[in-house]
Parts: sequence; C-alpha cells; structure tokens
Amino acid sequence: MMNLLKEAMAKGRATLSEYDSKRFLSSFGIPVCREGLADNPDSAAAEARKIGYPVVLKACGADLAHKTEVGGIALNLKNIRDVRKEGLRLMKIRGCETLLVQEMVKGARELVCGLTRDPQLGPCVMFGLGGVFTEVLDDVAFRIAPLTLGDAREMIGEIRARKMLDPFRGEAAIDQEILGHVLVSLGRIGLEYEDVAAIDINPLKVRPDGKPVAVDALVVLRKG
Amino acid sequence: MKEEFGPFFEPKNVAVIGASATPGRPGNDVIRNILANEYRGEIYLVNPKGGEILGLPVLPSIANLPDGVELAIIILPAKDTPQALRACAEKGIRHAVLSAGGFAEVDQGVKIQEELVEIIREKKLRVIGPNTSGHTSTPHQFTSTFFPLGKIRRGKVSYIAQTGNFATHTMKYILTGEHFGVSRVIGLGNKIDMDESDALEYLADDPETSAIVMYLESIKRPRKFLEIAREVTRRKPVVMLKSGSTEAGKHAAVAHTAAMAAEDRLIDAMLRQAGVVRIWDYTHLILAGKAFSMLPLPKGNRVSFLAPSGAMLVVLSDLCVRLGLDVPEIEPATVRRLHDISPPFIRMRNPVDIWASASVHGVEFGYREGMEAVLKDPNIDAVIPILMLTEDTGIPSYDFILDLKNRYPDKPLIVTFSADKKYMDECKNYLEPLGVPTFPEIEQPFEVLSSV
Repeated sequence: MMNLLKEAMAKGRATLSEYDSKRFLSSFGIPVCREGLADNPDSAAAEARKIGYPVVLKACGADLAHKTEVGGIALNLKNIRDVRKEGLRLMKIRGCETLLVQEMVKGARELVCGLTRDPQLGPCVMFGLGGVFTEVLDDVAFRIAPLTLGDAREMIGEIRARKMLDPFRGEAAIDQEILGHVLVSLGRIGLEYEDVAAIDINPLKVRPDGKPVAVDALVVLRKG
Repeated sequence: MKEEFGPFFEPKNVAVIGASATPGRPGNDVIRNILANEYRGEIYLVNPKGGEILGLPVLPSIANLPDGVELAIIILPAKDTPQALRACAEKGIRHAVLSAGGFAEVDQGVKIQEELVEIIREKKLRVIGPNTSGHTSTPHQFTSTFFPLGKIRRGKVSYIAQTGNFATHTMKYILTGEHFGVSRVIGLGNKIDMDESDALEYLADDPETSAIVMYLESIKRPRKFLEIAREVTRRKPVVMLKSGSTEAGKHAAVAHTAAMAAEDRLIDAMLRQAGVVRIWDYTHLILAGKAFSMLPLPKGNRVSFLAPSGAMLVVLSDLCVRLGLDVPEIEPATVRRLHDISPPFIRMRNPVDIWASASVHGVEFGYREGMEAVLKDPNIDAVIPILMLTEDTGIPSYDFILDLKNRYPDKPLIVTFSADKKYMDECKNYLEPLGVPTFPEIEQPFEVLSSV
C-alpha cells in the first residue's frame, strides 16, 4: 500500500484517485463499496454486469476533484443501455480519463469520517453527519490519534444527530463495532503514514442492515 | 517530578532578589506575604542598598548569599532579570520564580526572554514565569506572590493559572468572600520553562492535592498534556477553563475534515479524551474550587432537589436537562415518606415541592425530613435544597443540614437559598467552614454539579 502513495507522489499528484483512495483504505479493513475502473462505456457495461445493477458511474481524472459540480456522476443506472449512454456523456467531460463503476449502495443515512493533521496536536480523526450538507450542518466530533475503541465510541455518541445511528426508517441500527474500527484505523494511518496529509470519507453510507461502507473517499498527499 | 519541582513547593530557604523597603512595591509585598504565611525556612533578602527590611537583614548582592539556597524569587525589572538569574545559578540556586513583566510586549523583551531561555538551558535551571504573579504552597506555609494577600487559607484543591489575575484578585476574593482554602497555586506566566504539563504532572503525584482547577490561554505541548492529563484524571478530577474558544481559526483546505478542524474544536476533543472537564465561565474557577473542597465526588448525575416554589421546580428541571443532569423518579417508599410529611392535597415526586410540608409542619421539619427521604433513595446521587429563609416563616437551626451531611457522607449535599439575604449570608458563614457548600444563586449548585 506504501506503493500507492509513493507512486502518486512521484507523479506529483496532490491526492490519490478515488479508486486508489479506497484501495488504500480497504487495506486497513475499512469497508468500501464494490467498484471497478473502465476505459470506455463498453467495458463499463461489463464491469456493471460483474458488480450487479443498479450501478453508479463516475467520471475520473487527476484534475477532476469536484465531480458533482461538472455533472460527473450518474446515479442509479439500471441497465446496460443507461450505462453506455451515461458513459459516453461522462467521457466528454473535460479532464475525464476513466470511468468508475460502483455498486449503488442503498441506505438513507450518510456519515462522514476523516483525518487531518494539526501542527501541534498531530493527526486528528473526525466523525459526523455526512453527505453534501456536511459543512453546513457542522455536526462533527474530533479525537486526537491514537484512538482507543472507547474514544471512538464516545465521539460517535457526541454528534447532535446521534439518534440517526439507532434503528431508522426501517433500517437497522448502525454497526458501531465496524464504525469504531474505521475511526481507530484512520488514527492509525495518521500515525503510521507521514505521506498522508488528510483523508475524507464522505459519504460513509450506512446500508439498510446497519453496515457502514465508504462510497466516496479522498486521500490527500503530503506536499513535496 | 518531585525532585524537579519540589523546591518550588517545599523550599528549605528562599532568597528575594530585588527586596524593597518601600511599602506597596512588589519587592516589599512579597516579603510581607512570606511572613504573613509564617514560612518557617530561612529568608534572605538582596538589595544593593543593604540595611534592614521588615526586621530582616539585607544582603548587598547575590554573591553574598550563603551556599545552599534552594529558591530565588527574582522581582526586578525585565532588563535586570537575566543577569540576576545567572548570578543565582552561579551561587548554586537551581530554582527561580521570575516575577517581572514586560517580556513578550516589546522587541527588547523578546530578546531578554530568549536570553533567559539560554541561561535556563545552560545552567539546567527550573523556572516559573517570567511575568508571573507568583505561586503558593499552603502545606509549606509558603508563597512567592507579590499581591498583598496576607495569610492564605490551606485547602486541598490546587490551581494552575495562566493569568496573573488568579493568584492575585481572585485569590483575594476567595480569601475574603469564601471559606475554602487552596493547596498549591501556580501562576504560569509566560511559561518559558515550567508549563501546564509540568505543573499538572507535579500535582498528579502531590498528596496535598485532591483536585486540580486550571485556567489556560494556550497549551504549549498539547500531545504531552494529553498523555499526562489522561493519566491524572483517573485519580483526581481536573477541570479547565480554556479561553479563546470563539476564535474562528478554521484552516482553509481541500479536505472537509481539515476545513472543519477549528483549533478550539481539536482542543475540546483533546480535553474530552484526557478526561478533563471543561468549564466555560471564570466564576466557575471559584465554584469548582469550593465544590471540590467540600463535596464527595458524585457517583452519577442523578439529582433530587427540594424547592419552595412551583416556578423554581419547573425552571430548575429545565436547567437540569440543559446541563445533562438527570432528575429521576424516586422509589415508592420515598414517595410514601414525602406524602407522610406533607398535607394530603399535594402530590409528591422528584423534584420535591417542599413548601406545603414546610408551611404546615415548620421549615426545619419539612426540609429535614424531605432531604433525608431523597438522600436515602438509591436512585439519587446528589441533593440540592433551595432553602427558604424568612423571619415570617421561621429561620431553622442550620445544624440539621450538618447532621444530614454527616449521616450521608457519600452524597453531595449543596445548599442554595430563597428570600432574605441576611440569613443566606448567615447560613453560608455557618455551614461552609463546617464543610457544606452554599451558593447564593439557585442555578449555581446545578452548574457546579454538572462539572464535577
């Protein structure tokens, strides 16, 4: 996994791609959604068949950090025709190099987890309410790495929207053990990998059975 | 730690560099304070003019000091401080309190401060300050404070304060307006050597300190602090007022996580992780000190209170929700007992509407029996009576409260009042020296309970 970081840094990249970010996180036991890369709409359709419909299609590229703003995400594609059609559209977006095909993760709840570095406190882990309103709602908690499972449990209970973690609209209570493990792992990455400047997992979706899974992720690399 | 910092708190002898014969000067007040506290070690005074101050002989220079001086209080202008510190070091003095101010403010001050850091490193000294109002150690009857305080009352709570305000004005208030005392008080000043992590580490193992109250403007080594505090809070409660919490200070960054990591948010997280209870008001530095001095630590957050008014019952119930205190249901036996002592028309529960009982059977009877009923209840961790004191309804003997405190020593019992200020003061002055804390404002016992 060190190679992912070294290679990206050697290429002068500021971040790992979404796909590589998730491969990196997954190597620490952080659950990520099923996904695959495709060079063109046809191979995207082949990936979609492997993953199972419905799928999400995303435009990917080194300079394409904000996919939503350029219409670079197509959600809930139910068949091969939709995948081909949307694939063609995404490939035309400036900066799009490849297509990322993902399972369409069900579940109403979106959380956020992340890692940042404070000049004095060192690596700090964040947990909170995720999705596009993360910064507006500003419902997050922090802990300083390393985290114990107890620290993780406490910060999970600290957000205002903590009731969302209980059984919610027909969906199961969130699996706190897995969630706790994600937070502890983020702290560990912060302590062990100097090259990682920051991590965002947003959203970390909660499946209807309560299992959290990283749907979008970004690993920011150390400068220089 | 004891070896490192012991001489600050248990000095065998002390030298005052910059002793002054002029009343009202810091170099004079510091000597008065040391004498007023009946310090039992040798006191050496240094001033080039020589002579005698407050009946003590004055040595003309640091070089004239005898060998074996443990602690120097250097109370000179900033520009003269480095030279004096060096001279003390050459005399074998390893510990010094630097009282002078004017270091960080001007360019020259920064240079002088750097020079001091250099001397400390070179001579391997331990230093409090500069720009400190001093420190206090009542178990050793010693203080280096230059603010006129007189005899400082001994207690078991210690303070670490990054402000000159605490060891001076606030101490003065505690000594004149409250009844609790202090153990160690450390004014950190500009923290060029001893910082909050050092001070906390010392107090952690200090048998004279049972609780620690801190005021900080900054944390110099936050990771070190976390490591120490995490360990201390398992044994002793630590509360902290950390100023600067509203600083915007958000980092501009690509990642959400970084953008949302405002400085105070991280400090707050660190304090939670360390088990340090954060307080938000300056007044609570005093209230927490009083509570820690007199109360057993509550086993939980389940409170019962007895009020003479329906409005208070409602308002204080709301307050409990806001503060995270639980006002639980009480045992059927407790409810029965409360009914027994009350007229039949009233429905009794927690919180306790005590006025019907008090007005029919007398204030003392109502409060005494009501308080005992809830103190006995296994669902209750702490009890707060809002004691009604007027001549019309009768002033009770306050001894019944002491008796309850002695019979239920494991449950915090905190008194607040309604009605006549004269009797509130009388009750406070009677109960507090005997170990029952009182607060004049009805919200304060609840606020205090939520932070201890």
